[in-house]
Parts: sequence; C-alpha cells; structure tokens
Amino acid sequence: MTKEIPPVPAPMTATDAPNMPIHLRAARPQDVPALVSLLLRLKRLNEEFDPLLKVRPDAEAQATALLTQDLADPKALVLAAEGVGADRDRVVGLVRAHLRERLFYTPENEGVILDIYLLPLYRRRGVGEYLLRETVQALKARGAGIVTAEFPAHNEIATRFYGKRGFRAVTLVQAKSL
Amino acid sequence: MVQAEPPGRPAPGKTPPRPSLPVPDVTEEGEGVTESMGRRSVELAGFYHGKLETVPSVPIRSLADFALWYTPGIAAVSRAIEAAPDRSFDLTGRWNTIAIVTDGSRVLGLGNVGPEASLPVMEGKALLFRYLGGVNAVPIPLRIDSPAELIETVERIAPGFGGINLEDIASPKCFEVLETLQARLPIPVWHDDQLGTAASTVAGLLNGLELTGRTIGQIRTVLLGAGAANLVTARLLVALGHDPHAISLVDQRGILNAERDDMDELMLRNPWKYRLALQTDGGGRSGALADALAGADVLLAASRPDPHAISADAIRSMADAPIVFALANPVPEIWPEVARRAGAAVVATGRSDFPNQVNNSLIFPGVFRGILDARARSINDEIVLAAARELAARAHDRGLTAEHLLPTMEELEVFPHVAAAVATAAVDRGVARVTRSRAEFLAIAKERMARPARLIEAIGRSGLIAPMPPASPGRSLSKP
Repeated sequence: MTKEIPPVPAPMTATDAPNMPIHLRAARPQDVPALVSLLLRLKRLNEEFDPLLKVRPDAEAQATALLTQDLADPKALVLAAEGVGADRDRVVGLVRAHLRERLFYTPENEGVILDIYLLPLYRRRGVGEYLLRETVQALKARGAGIVTAEFPAHNEIATRFYGKRGFRAVTLVQAKSL
Repeated sequence: MVQAEPPGRPAPGKTPPRPSLPVPDVTEEGEGVTESMGRRSVELAGFYHGKLETVPSVPIRSLADFALWYTPGIAAVSRAIEAAPDRSFDLTGRWNTIAIVTDGSRVLGLGNVGPEASLPVMEGKALLFRYLGGVNAVPIPLRIDSPAELIETVERIAPGFGGINLEDIASPKCFEVLETLQARLPIPVWHDDQLGTAASTVAGLLNGLELTGRTIGQIRTVLLGAGAANLVTARLLVALGHDPHAISLVDQRGILNAERDDMDELMLRNPWKYRLALQTDGGGRSGALADALAGADVLLAASRPDPHAISADAIRSMADAPIVFALANPVPEIWPEVARRAGAAVVATGRSDFPNQVNNSLIFPGVFRGILDARARSINDEIVLAAARELAARAHDRGLTAEHLLPTMEELEVFPHVAAAVATAAVDRGVARVTRSRAEFLAIAKERMARPARLIEAIGRSGLIAPMPPASPGRSLSKP
C-alpha cells in the first residue's frame, strides 16, 4: 500500500549561497512562462543526444500544462533560480523533481530529479553543484530516502556531473522505435 | 579561406605596380581564369608527376660511404640518440623537417575531397614551405574520420619530425585536434587555417588601428563568420587587451550571444564557439549583422564568398573611418571600392590583386623557420602574437598607408624577421631547445631561407628538371 508522503513544508525560503550568481527559491505561478522556455531548452538539448528524444511540435503547451500542474502538486518540487544584481527577478534556471514511492524496494520514498537547467551564462563556478545540493536537501526534507536523476543515456556531461557526486546507474531504460 | 599564392621573386625593395581598385565581375571573368589555370595545373601535374623528390644532403663519393651514412657506422648514431632522444635534432634532419598532416576534410574551397585528392594540395604546401621557409615538409594525407584517431596517428608519427603542420581539417574538428596535440606533443603543432590566418589578420588590424588613431582597448569589433580563423582571431584580440564585451561574433544565425537558443547545441558540437559566445555575450547585442555593425569601429569578415554579404549602408552605419577586412576568397564579402566609398578608412581582403592582402602565407614560413631554429617544444598564442606584431612592424617600418597595411608576398625580406621574432619568443617563453640572440636567429633564418632559391637555381641550371612546357590546349603532355 502507498505510504503517506509527509506534507510539503512551507514554501522554501530563498537561499543564497555566497558567491553564487543565482538565488534559488520555490517557483510561483507567475514564473511559468519563463520556466517553460527553460524546460524547452533542456528538451532540445536532450534531442542532441538521441534521435529518439525528438521534441514534439506541441511541447510548449505540454510544458505549460505540466509546470502548472506541478506547482499545485504536493509531490512535486519546482525551484526557480533567479539571477542576482541586474538580473534579479529574472528566472535563469529551473529544477523539477517528484517524490515517488518505490514499490518492492527500500528505502521506499524516492526523490526523482527530472529536470535541471541553467542558462549558459550561469553555469560553472559551482552553480550546478549548489543547485543539486539544495534540491537533494529539499527532497530529503520531504521524506526521500533515496535520490535519483533521469537524463538521456548519452548525456555524458550529466553522467560525469552526477557520477562525481556519488550517483550511479541503477535502472536502465532501453528503447526501440516501432 | 585565405589561400597561399606562390610569389614571384622581384628584386628586393622594389614594389610592383599596384592595380587601381576595380569592381571586377568575378562571377564570369574570374571563373574563366580559374578554369584555365586549373587546366594548366592538371597538364603540368601530369607532366612532372608530383612536385617533390627526396635529395641527399650529404656527399656520396662511392658506395663505400654508405658504411657511414648507413650500417654499420650509423648504429653508433642510433645509440647516441637512444641515450638522449633530443639529440635526434642534432644528428638527423629532424630539426628542419615537418609533417603536413591532413584528413582531406576541408580542402581549399572544395570541402571533403578525401585524402588522395588532398595530396596535390599538400605537395604544393610543402613546396611553399621549402621555397619560402627553407623547411623540409612531408605531405601525410590520412584516411581517418574521427578526431581521436587523427590525434593518435599524429602522436605516433611525431618522433620523426621537428614540427607538425595540420592542414585543411574541417572546423570544429580542427580545434580539438590542435588543442590536444599541442598539449601532448614535445614539438610545435600549427594549424594554418586557425593560427596563420588569425595572425595575419591581427597584424593588419594592429596597423589599421594605428592608421586610424585607435587603440585596441577602446574599439568595438564585429567578426562576421565563426569558423576556424575568426574564432582564433577573437581569442587573440582578447589576449591583446580587447574588451571581450565589445566583440560581436556573427554567424549565419546572427549575433552569437549567451542566450541564443542554439547555445546548448554549440556546447556539445563546438565548445570553442560556445566559450567565445559566453565570453563576448554578443558584445552586449543581439539580432542580425546590422545590429552588430551600428557604431562598430572594426569589421573582420571571414565568412563566405559573396560580394553582397555586407552592404554599403552597413558600412555607413559603423563608427567614423571604420576598418573593414573582407577576407572571403575568392570573392570578398564587400568589394573594397564599395567599402571605401561608404566611408571605410582601411580595407583589406584575402586577394593579391587588391591592396592589403591578408594572407596566411605571410606568417607560416617565418613561424616554422623560427620554431625550428629555436627547436621549440611548443607554440602558444604569445608566440603567434609575436609573429603578428613583427609582421605589423615590418609594414610599419616601410611607411603605413591605407594601401600598405601589411607587407606583400613580394617583400620576402620580411620572412626572416618574423622567424627571428618567433624564435626569440620561444626562448622567452622557455620552450626553446636552442638559445640564441635575436640577431643570431635573424642571421640563421636569412641563411636558411635563402638556400632554397640557390638550390632551385642550381638545379635549374643543371637541366635535371625539365623546363616548364608551353601550354598546349587540346592535347595532353607527356614527359620525355
């Protein structure tokens, strides 16, 4: 039987890490258009890794619906990264994660990182690492006993990024066109 | 982009007459000329069967001498090199021998013609290396697709050479291959389409800035075309103190900035272009070429042959007295006369029939002479800039004008000076195996660069090489 997932804590407090060119906070409904554009950039990046990840023409509408739905879903975590200084109030990155129950296996509560994206100018300088750390903490605070990340098998940048931080492949998804 | 042209050898110091500035109809006449030159080239290639042959550099009095040049005597030379591999620069021809390596993936303007078809071009380049630089160059076309295999192959052949010249390798593959080999090999690695073209562009620009009373720290520059040459030119400009945020790199999709929606694709497919996009961020601009050019001081175009790629109005929108380099070959992105009439103070192209030819052949002979004379372990941007500065200084010494921005290929006395500047820079950077003063390097380079002409003259007198047969339309030649 599905185990009760703890209620979502109050909206995340904005966390600034020293020297970070971003400022991370829980996403709000008014962020959706900016988040959609970032999510689409990420999906188009995925397209570069594999022809089986070809982006659909209606992807924008889907992304809007999905993010709107996630913002209302207690089992979803959507974070917006804002710029700092002149870029304050501008959404330059996003994190989207879900809390899922794992059937059969323990620990039973899994935090799944589905999408992480930062605009190119905000990458490096440890920003990705900071984003991941904050996301993992938020998922743990909501009861996750294990954290996973989903990304294209041929994304070597992501493989290296997560690998360096203790992640390893657990489940493989293989695909074949029909 | 910029292709070498074999120069004549007029008396030193004598500048040949310059043509006025026509707006030629290259689409018809130019193609006709190119076609007839092509026919003649095929004819001569079939007559001479190749442009190079190996000639001994030691006396051979009788077969008995082979006991010294070859076994058994040579075993001791082998032993000496085994004990100290760098002695290969002393005891063999390694000190003056380079490999011209290509995969045939971007030969001239022909594209990917494959390794066999690249051979005549590589032979021609070897001839230029010999004639202008006094360097023994061995053409090595390779049947290889992947950058990793190309890198590995060059690593494996490096022990026989004092330097490597990568030639006609497609962008962006050429960046990965050059960077990796430069990091791994104990000899200098050069790619003319990147470094040679960028260095001659920078040399011309330095003089253009002086002529128009500008300094590099204050200008706004637009680079049209984001291929091998311009990506390196941008990097060199930044190294010279150009504010990266005052550089707009423009490609077919417009101004390259950090938020363009193909950035992630570039991150994967062309990280060099991606990094420059981040560094320059469009020079604070986004949009099309026209948006970049408004108010800009300098335009460096190295894109594709199309005389209408840049309009007169676009030049008029630039700052007062702008500098315009339209370097596409064989047809510049705007005709020089059109750019001049629109207000350009200084115009350069890649062609020898207009003033101010930006030509990689102004750079590579001196660079290789210099790195070989210093037996350099590597070459870096500082050494490349030393070559560019010296080239600029040579034109400067002869008097800068809007029509004499750079030395021409006829000013052969320039090459040893570039060589000495490069060798000295290698010593200063601590990458030289041989230390000499600049004056000594100059004397060495002069002597070594003068030798090929004497050799060719002597061989010519000997009758060992058949004189060039007259053009014979309609029938093919055969060598007697």
